[in-house]
Amino acid sequence: MAKMPIETAVRRSDAIAKASGTQKYLSDMTFEGMLYSRMVRSSIPRGIIKNIEVPSLPEGYYFISHKDIPPEGKNELWMIAKDWKCFAENEVRYVGETIGLLVGPDRNVLANLLDDLIITYEEHEPAISIEEGLACKGGAFVNDTNIFCELEIKTGDEMDEVFNRADRVFEETYRTGFQEHVHLETNSVACVQEDDAFVIYASAQCPFYIRKSIAGLLNIPYDKIIVRQTTTGGAFGGKEHFPDVLAGPLLVAVNTIGKPIQMVFDRSEDMEFSVKRHPSRTIIKTALDDKGAILGMDIDVVYNVGGYLSCSFVVLQRGVFHATGCYGIPSTRIHGRGVATNTFPSDAFRGFGAPQTLFAIERHMDHLANFLGRDPLELRNEYLLKKGSLTNTNGHVYEEVKLPEMIKQITDASDYWRKAKEYGRGTGKGIGIALYNHGGAFTGNGEQMIIKGHARLHKHSDGTVDILVGSTEMGQGFQTALRKIAAQVLDLDLHMINYDNPDTSKVPDSGPTAASRSTMIVGKLVERAALLMKKRYDSEEDFHVEVEYEHPEGFPWDQNTFQGDAYLGYGWGAAVVEVEVDALTSEVETKGIWVSHDVGHPIDELLIRGQVNGGVIQSLGYASMEKMENKKGYFKQNSMSDYIIPTSMDFPKMESFLVDNPYEFGPFGAKGMGELVFNGADAAFCEAVSRAIDRRICEIPIPPETIVELEIHGN
Amino acid sequence: METKIDFTLNGQQVSVTTDPLRRLLDVIREDFGLTGTKEGCGEGECGACSVLKDGKIITTCMVPIGAVGGSDIVTIDGLKETEQGKTIIEAFADGGAVQCGFCIPGMVMAAEDLLRSNPHPSEDEIRKGISGNICRCTGYDLIVESIALASERGDGLW
Amino acid sequence: MVSTYIPKTLEEALIIRKETGARPLSGGTDLMVQYRRGIGVTPKFPWPIMIVSNLKELIGINETPDGSLCIGSATTSSEIAASPLVPWHVREASSRMGAISLRNLATIGGNIGNASPKGDLPATLILLDASVVLASVEGERTVLLDDFIYGAKKTLLQDDEIITKIIIPKPARPFTYRWYRKIGTRRANAITKLSLSAAITIDEKGVITDFRASSGAAGPKIARNKALEATLIGKNVEDIPSLLPSFLADYDKIISPHAMPEYRRTSTKRMLEYFLTEVSKRPSGEIIE
Ligand SMILES: Cc1cc2nc3c(=O)[nH]c(=O)nc-3n(C[C@H](O)[C@H](O)[C@H](O)COP(=O)(O)OP(=O)(O)OC[C@H]3O[C@@H](n4cnc5c(N)ncnc54)[C@H](O)[C@@H]3O)c2cc1C
Ligand code: FES
Ligand code: FES
Repeated sequence: MAKMPIETAVRRSDAIAKASGTQKYLSDMTFEGMLYSRMVRSSIPRGIIKNIEVPSLPEGYYFISHKDIPPEGKNELWMIAKDWKCFAENEVRYVGETIGLLVGPDRNVLANLLDDLIITYEEHEPAISIEEGLACKGGAFVNDTNIFCELEIKTGDEMDEVFNRADRVFEETYRTGFQEHVHLETNSVACVQEDDAFVIYASAQCPFYIRKSIAGLLNIPYDKIIVRQTTTGGAFGGKEHFPDVLAGPLLVAVNTIGKPIQMVFDRSEDMEFSVKRHPSRTIIKTALDDKGAILGMDIDVVYNVGGYLSCSFVVLQRGVFHATGCYGIPSTRIHGRGVATNTFPSDAFRGFGAPQTLFAIERHMDHLANFLGRDPLELRNEYLLKKGSLTNTNGHVYEEVKLPEMIKQITDASDYWRKAKEYGRGTGKGIGIALYNHGGAFTGNGEQMIIKGHARLHKHSDGTVDILVGSTEMGQGFQTALRKIAAQVLDLDLHMINYDNPDTSKVPDSGPTAASRSTMIVGKLVERAALLMKKRYDSEEDFHVEVEYEHPEGFPWDQNTFQGDAYLGYGWGAAVVEVEVDALTSEVETKGIWVSHDVGHPIDELLIRGQVNGGVIQSLGYASMEKMENKKGYFKQNSMSDYIIPTSMDFPKMESFLVDNPYEFGPFGAKGMGELVFNGADAAFCEAVSRAIDRRICEIPIPPETIVELEIHGN
Repeated sequence: METKIDFTLNGQQVSVTTDPLRRLLDVIREDFGLTGTKEGCGEGECGACSVLKDGKIITTCMVPIGAVGGSDIVTIDGLKETEQGKTIIEAFADGGAVQCGFCIPGMVMAAEDLLRSNPHPSEDEIRKGISGNICRCTGYDLIVESIALASERGDGLW
Repeated sequence: MVSTYIPKTLEEALIIRKETGARPLSGGTDLMVQYRRGIGVTPKFPWPIMIVSNLKELIGINETPDGSLCIGSATTSSEIAASPLVPWHVREASSRMGAISLRNLATIGGNIGNASPKGDLPATLILLDASVVLASVEGERTVLLDDFIYGAKKTLLQDDEIITKIIIPKPARPFTYRWYRKIGTRRANAITKLSLSAAITIDEKGVITDFRASSGAAGPKIARNKALEATLIGKNVEDIPSLLPSFLADYDKIISPHAMPEYRRTSTKRMLEYFLTEVSKRPSGEIIE
């Protein structure tokens, strides 16, 4: 193969099968004797189950509940915490909590049975909003305080002392709402028995997570559960832990019934009864000296966790570590809390806690600049993190920060300075900018202490090579990226490299496909394995090599005090958005989008453009239209016509730049980027709207209704 | 109450005897095993279930099979065998339009419907033409460019 | 299981309707979605159904001898949007319903039968004083659409009747200026949050001879008030600026006080004010944008 630079775009290996409809997703698969299932869920946000009246079941139909968990098993799903039950027994904490499964051969009959199944409850008063959770409305149900998790980090001087010294203080509260993933393929899992093992087929990000999470239900060893990822129609974090909630009950049901069972959510179930992005409230209080310089920031972050903890403490940590954004602030105190409420548990979603606090700090910088009578970009430039700067966990920025170059790219391309001046404020036209970053891979030394990923390469006698890792393709192009890395190192044609959807009985655990760690960490493992294989490739026929993760030196971290280098490196981003607000209807038209990203060295320019485009549009949807309200425990938007996400007409074509900044510990200099690209366009959009209507915007989403209210009533 | 319904499916004369209120989508996927047509929402919003009915694009999750008698239905499984279908699919692959892929068969149908009525659409016309098809992964730019690429490569096909 | 009928002629349909009370299902875009029950599950209806979308008698657009336009109830939004015979307001509204794939299914009879305040066609049809023709085995009757839809999801349709056509009368004189704006939840493929249709006719002397406005999604029913419209009729177009404040204040009262009042009121007021102000400047085009 004539060697092309790694960044040269190739055709994705999965494109033709997907575009021609021949690629099978879970709902396209059937198994011999397969039964269908429907979830029986709590219809109230908080209370005690008094009675379940199951209608008389025809022959071949079953109702499965916690009573079907064998005595040696435990009714719990082991995510990060073990608090989330497989089936509610007594207490229910949110609308949609799994109570049982109805299983049988005909979906029409199941739908009728579901209609006829009656559950009676003793209802308790729920707490829904962050404020209600903090106030322990209806009585605390977690830790006497409803605080599920909490952390505080500090740098520089003591906050009291900093605020005593301050000449002026600027304080604001920022809020973000629920966001639904709307992966086009809904949650889908099937379970079948094969020899003496249970096989879980799942549309999922993390096959090994599922295995760990559900094995305890039957108290069986991990190797008696095989998880096979099926081609996954989008995930965005929504299929990181949540597939466990389908796989657990299915495992219990198959163990009881002995036949293959499938469960595919329909869209309304997926909307109403699946995890969401954490709603947030962030209060930022900034101390300023008499010249307007920032002395310190005191930041209070609260995330709405919902009924169970799941991975929320990790999400909250990431939120806290990103709360000062791309800025070096002399003294900081950041306090984070995750509050229990009676809403569907919040969970992973692209950005994993970072977008909420980054939104807050970016809005804060804009409003602070306005407060000081300064240009928002000039103010930002003064505090930009640089190589070697101290982070808010008293760690250091490891890489060169190319934000100045990136800012120049997008301000030039968008003609930012001219437009900013010309449009001014309140003219109906506006342009805004935001900066953002994203710490790559697991927090601190998690890659070393928690995951310790493995990757294996197998060479067959015909010269082809299999990549054996637990990481998954869910649309982001990872299979193509990994194959390119291996092909490039081994000097082979791309078609000589195979990489199938993982099967936990065949591949080593390389850790979850999450935290933007796949290219950076697993890609590196594959690069290392390929280098080892290359030495033996010509001389040996059929062999494999396996490598284990090695943590780079010089990144100290203490997970108990949250001190040190929270991440091994950051991806960086900058976005400019230009809008026009309709004078009659206050509808916002986005006129232009310019973004620049530092993703290390790109592995494939086309894959990256796809990720950038998709992530930025998701972020703009989050800011502008994706409104999901929870009223008394029920999501009000339960269909794709109520909860709207962007169409091809909502945003114009964007201009996207990259800077080359090879990352020492990534394959071919690459680092993570899947989440980074979500982290900032929302704030840039809000700033553009804010300038167009001359009002402060501290909350997203910002639909035209809110704009009219702001226009009429002011801030 | 089962009824016999005759129609043309991907060029073949077919017949099903079934409840006339079953969704065309379920009949295509389950009775004929044509799983290229996807269900993304079941409520007419996403376009993943799109097919051509008598040459016009429709969403099959809203159509009872009883309304289909005598019609000519073309699904992705039929379109992919045609020159037009192949041209669009190849352009999608080369243009980076495919990510998770779940929306893509429906997008290909929308592209075909658009190119039939407008073989050389502008960017705005493409955006309009696929506005009934939701994609959560791509942000649409590469899909739009890929349709332009198909239009260019398939000059004269439509 | 309730029965389902697929009549071959209108006559057959009317008999089935009379004998079984079966509900017409036309495009199905409201019914199939509203009564869906999940993947692989047949929608379940509380009444028998008859599929009318293929009845030839219900499809088509033609002009009647008196110059009115007659649209068959099973005519789709796509067909309506593409027909040069159809008045501009109705074409505009048709072409902005949902997405192409929806417009190829959704019918005008279904849009009216569904009687949702958010339905796009009734807002423009009511502006144009359209009527519906209702047929039963007993015969036909014609009812003004504004009366036929008397509340949210409420119509005067009798248990033995089917909507067969929609009649749009020709205005006495062609409108001088027209306005239509749909505010959707997003820029495409969107349900209406608010719409405003308006038209005005001005004679050679500058006197307003006809003025109409209707607001969609602004309350339980399409909001149109002829008495209020009449306050502008007979006035000179030059006097619009001085008449506007009181007119706008009165129009505001016909919008439902419930749900998003601030947004609906403000946007409606701004749009009407803009339309009438532009009109008073007597621009050259017919359509105000
Ligand atoms: C994704 C999506 C987007 C949509 N977007 C829009 C939009 O932008 N604007 C809009 O206005 N609507 C919209 N709708 C709603 C719907 O498409 C329209 O109301 C459509 O016109 C209904 O027509 P249909 O033929 O499909 O109705 P059907 O579902 O067949 O029937 C609707 C009702 O009308 C009755 N009916 C039908 N035909 C007759 C008849 N001949 N005589 C008596 N009663 C009859 C039925 O019994 C039923 O009660 C949307 C729907 C969906 C699913
Ligand atoms: S599945 Fe039919 S439009 Fe979404
Ligand atoms: S490629 Fe995933 S939804 Fe379009």
